[in-house]
Amino acid sequence: MDLASFVYLGVTFGLFVIFALIVIRTYNKKNKDKGEVAKYNMLDDD
Amino acid sequence: MEKQNYNYAIVRSFVVWSMIWGLVAVLVGVIVSFQMVEPGLNFPPYLTFGRLRPIHTNAGIYGWAVGVIFATFLYIVQRLCKTPLWSDKLAKFQLYFFNATIIASAVTLLLGYTTSKEYHEMEWPIDVMIIILWVVFGLNIIMTILKRKDEQMYISLWYMMAAIIGVAILFVVNSAAMPVSLFKSYSAYAGTNDANVEWWFGHNAVAMALTAPPLAMFYYFLPKSTGVPIYSHRLSIIAFWSLIFMYLWTGAHHLLWTPIPDWIQTLAMGFSVMLIAPSWGSVFNGYLSMNGQWHQMRENYLVKFLILGITFYGLQTLQGPMQAIRTFSAFIHYTDWVPAHIHMGTMGWVSMICFASIYFMVPRIWNREIYSIPLANLQFWLILVGQLIWSISLWVAGVLQAGMWNAMNSDGSLTYTFMETMVEMYPYWWARAFGGIIYLFGLVVFIYNLYMTVKKGEPTAVTTATAEGRV
Repeated sequence: MDLASFVYLGVTFGLFVIFALIVIRTYNKKNKDKGEVAKYNMLDDD
Repeated sequence: MEKQNYNYAIVRSFVVWSMIWGLVAVLVGVIVSFQMVEPGLNFPPYLTFGRLRPIHTNAGIYGWAVGVIFATFLYIVQRLCKTPLWSDKLAKFQLYFFNATIIASAVTLLLGYTTSKEYHEMEWPIDVMIIILWVVFGLNIIMTILKRKDEQMYISLWYMMAAIIGVAILFVVNSAAMPVSLFKSYSAYAGTNDANVEWWFGHNAVAMALTAPPLAMFYYFLPKSTGVPIYSHRLSIIAFWSLIFMYLWTGAHHLLWTPIPDWIQTLAMGFSVMLIAPSWGSVFNGYLSMNGQWHQMRENYLVKFLILGITFYGLQTLQGPMQAIRTFSAFIHYTDWVPAHIHMGTMGWVSMICFASIYFMVPRIWNREIYSIPLANLQFWLILVGQLIWSISLWVAGVLQAGMWNAMNSDGSLTYTFMETMVEMYPYWWARAFGGIIYLFGLVVFIYNLYMTVKKGEPTAVTTATAEGRV
């Protein structure tokens, strides 16, 4: 594997870390209620 | 709630034009399916399979699917953000420029101008038109989102923004070319790099144009049709981000067993299999949203379209990763299995959601009751049966074709000539053409029903059960 392939995999890993942080934040108990508000609000757009 | 002055005129126009281009796409598709079984139906130089086939695919993707994307996004963004469009003038320009671009594409493809890149056949001047069109559209949607009334964004808005940004990046990168005349250019990339960039674009166009937008529509129109919220907004958010994270690495699965680096192929294969998780996250979210509401599958024609649509999405996203595995790809790649896979996605998943979205919007944007729910149900069965005949016959054909191509005699020579394998395909190709005609008939019923709705439908209060799809 050359430098380009390590960069490619490095970017992939970096994005995975960001994704993992999003999962942790979304399923944090503190955000439980806030995370579901939008699905009720969208029914009230008439 | 404050009464908003939403721009429905532009949504109406996009609905009409998307249906026109959808009819062109399916009609040309049926014609090329007959050209496969009856070569005498090719009329050189313009009306040959080679020139009509890209018109079929591009009218389907850019005319029908993108036309419905424009219509639904412009509708949904106003409703979810509870605010009118940022710019009505920009939206009007987008409508005219959209049709000009589609017409220019069709004419140049008929005349034989092509980059030869699948799903990106149009030459560079039309690429420029498409980029202008997308920037205008994206700017209007994003600026409208920025002036929304609710702080938290519903999942449909996330998918819409991903589609806008994703398509822009993919299209610009794959468009990079050196023009040598008004209608001829050469790709900025060479050899395997060109192939890799092309399929990075090609597969992710499926992600950003034919997956993210229908999911935006599904997440909006399912709860609006059933009257109950989706099962979990947080699950939809996780499915969204994992889809975004995983999809962009999968394009190289189109290039398994080719000279591109082996590790890129392996990475694409691995991510393709991982992609099952976010895809089925949305499928399960859809199914679980129907808890206690399954009776609506009988009573509400919109739910039938939406749930069958998400079911085909689920099937598509199991079959796709399976095809991305090296050993299976070695067997079915380049056979008729592959177009059957694609058409389950386009005719089953994407179009089912598009039909439901239009059926939902029309009573509201024209203020008319749907002319005939029995006709809508008839259309549902016609497109379902037509698509199943289309796909199943070609899956069988693909397996047969692969088996014959791989068959060897004891001395290592091939058992069948290529021509013998072609002859075996004829019954299946007839079945495909027949399935296409049934689907086309379903589309005509759809257009007739909506035409009569606008012409003769009863004025409605749009919140009635009928307008929402319930009888």
